[in-house]
Amino acid sequence: MKGVLLKDLYIAKSNILVTVVSLIVLGFGLSFLLETSALLVLAPVASTTAVFISITSDAGSKWNKNVIAMPVSRRTIIAEKYSFYLLLALAGLLTALIPCGLFSLFETDITLQSLWLYGTIGISATLFAGGISLPCAYLFDPEKSQIVFMMSFMASTGMIVALVLLINLFLPVKHHMLLAFHIVLAAAVLCFTASYQAAVRIYQKQDII
Amino acid sequence: MKNALTVSGLTKTYPDFMLDHVSFAVPSGSIVGLIGENGAGKSTTVNAVLGLIRKESGQVSILGKDELDDETKEQIGAVFDGSNYPEILSPRKIDRIMKHIYRSWDADTYFRLLEQFSLPLDKQIKRFSKGMKMKLAISAALSHHSRLLILDEATSGLDPVIRDDLLDMLLAFVEDEDHSILLSSHITSDLEKIADYIVFIHEGKVLFSKPKDELTEQYGIIKCGAAQFDALDQSDIIAYRKMDYEWQVLTADRHEMHRKYPNALIVPATIDEIMLLYVKGKMKTEETK
Repeated sequence: MKGVLLKDLYIAKSNILVTVVSLIVLGFGLSFLLETSALLVLAPVASTTAVFISITSDAGSKWNKNVIAMPVSRRTIIAEKYSFYLLLALAGLLTALIPCGLFSLFETDITLQSLWLYGTIGISATLFAGGISLPCAYLFDPEKSQIVFMMSFMASTGMIVALVLLINLFLPVKHHMLLAFHIVLAAAVLCFTASYQAAVRIYQKQDII
Repeated sequence: MKNALTVSGLTKTYPDFMLDHVSFAVPSGSIVGLIGENGAGKSTTVNAVLGLIRKESGQVSILGKDELDDETKEQIGAVFDGSNYPEILSPRKIDRIMKHIYRSWDADTYFRLLEQFSLPLDKQIKRFSKGMKMKLAISAALSHHSRLLILDEATSGLDPVIRDDLLDMLLAFVEDEDHSILLSSHITSDLEKIADYIVFIHEGKVLFSKPKDELTEQYGIIKCGAAQFDALDQSDIIAYRKMDYEWQVLTADRHEMHRKYPNALIVPATIDEIMLLYVKGKMKTEETK
């Protein structure tokens, strides 16, 4: 897996400047409009675009065919994409902590609890979005996958809202905010794991032409 | 003689195409050319051999194994038409990636081949010409002690000078009797230069699989008029085609035909001409139906 992951990290590196600049600009923007910590919601999702760039690039350059002829199993190829997605999401989260840390020197509204809450929401949204869009990247052609990728952000927001409303039936979310979003995070982890298994099954059966 | 690759009864059906019980072999130490027009089934065959597509029936045995496991893949070098590697990468980065993929990756061989081909180490592949990309792909395929090279339309779209360089490299590769090559191409002149065997696929079926020398030294084309054509023994005809002013008849033994029809004009057949007569001509069997 190390070789294919390194290949994707090279692809991510070529887009890293755009991602970092976008996150910093977004951080400044949010600091005026909302809480700076809200950047933690957007950063992990925004950082994962390189995964879809790599999937498109693999197909365009025929690396997707070449790699199957190499001593790399189809399961490893999928496992690598999911690991790469998680790595990018974590890198995005950590990058977003930099402006949050800087602003915390001047603001008082950034607390450890708000950072944890927004981080949990961000990772949950990222896992739901990846859970939807990653298997679709192997089911559909690149154009359709791009559309699914963009729509998956909206879908993940919808899933989180739906889950929060559901939790609210049993537990007053306003009073148990962190617990409620920990439940959402657990559901997102389950969704991402199930999605990985589905993607492996899809890819095992797929003809690569 | 052992076979590096044996394909038997390979079948795959698509809505508009069928690979129909394809069988052929690549003997160790030889170059086998897979020929056929575009859409004949060459790439589908290569894809099925490499496990890129799931076959419906048939068997593929590579390097003595029926399963395409990682150990077998270590010994196969595959090259497809196109970049083969993400274009953001450079040859040096490919080395760093490949050493984590192939246990037998040989960086010295890789860099020696890059130098031999005058390929820059740190230039992004997207700035390479098509010929440079193909040289890079072949260099990588040859840098993990491959015993079987499988090239799918690798020489398509390259100029004759670069094609010649690549063909020389392939000939050097099979100097070792343990090395073999399956080369799919519709550029038959390349195969005439280097192939030991020719497998001709047409509409998903193997029409013939023969030693190249038999095709170029035995096969011939009888060029004759209508009366001479009518006088030909039907068993001497493989395929025929009526041109503007003559009949062209493909025959399997031109020397025998010289003896049998001393007045006929009989010329050697190129692989291109054999392919054309099979595809565009009428087969003897069609007429007898």
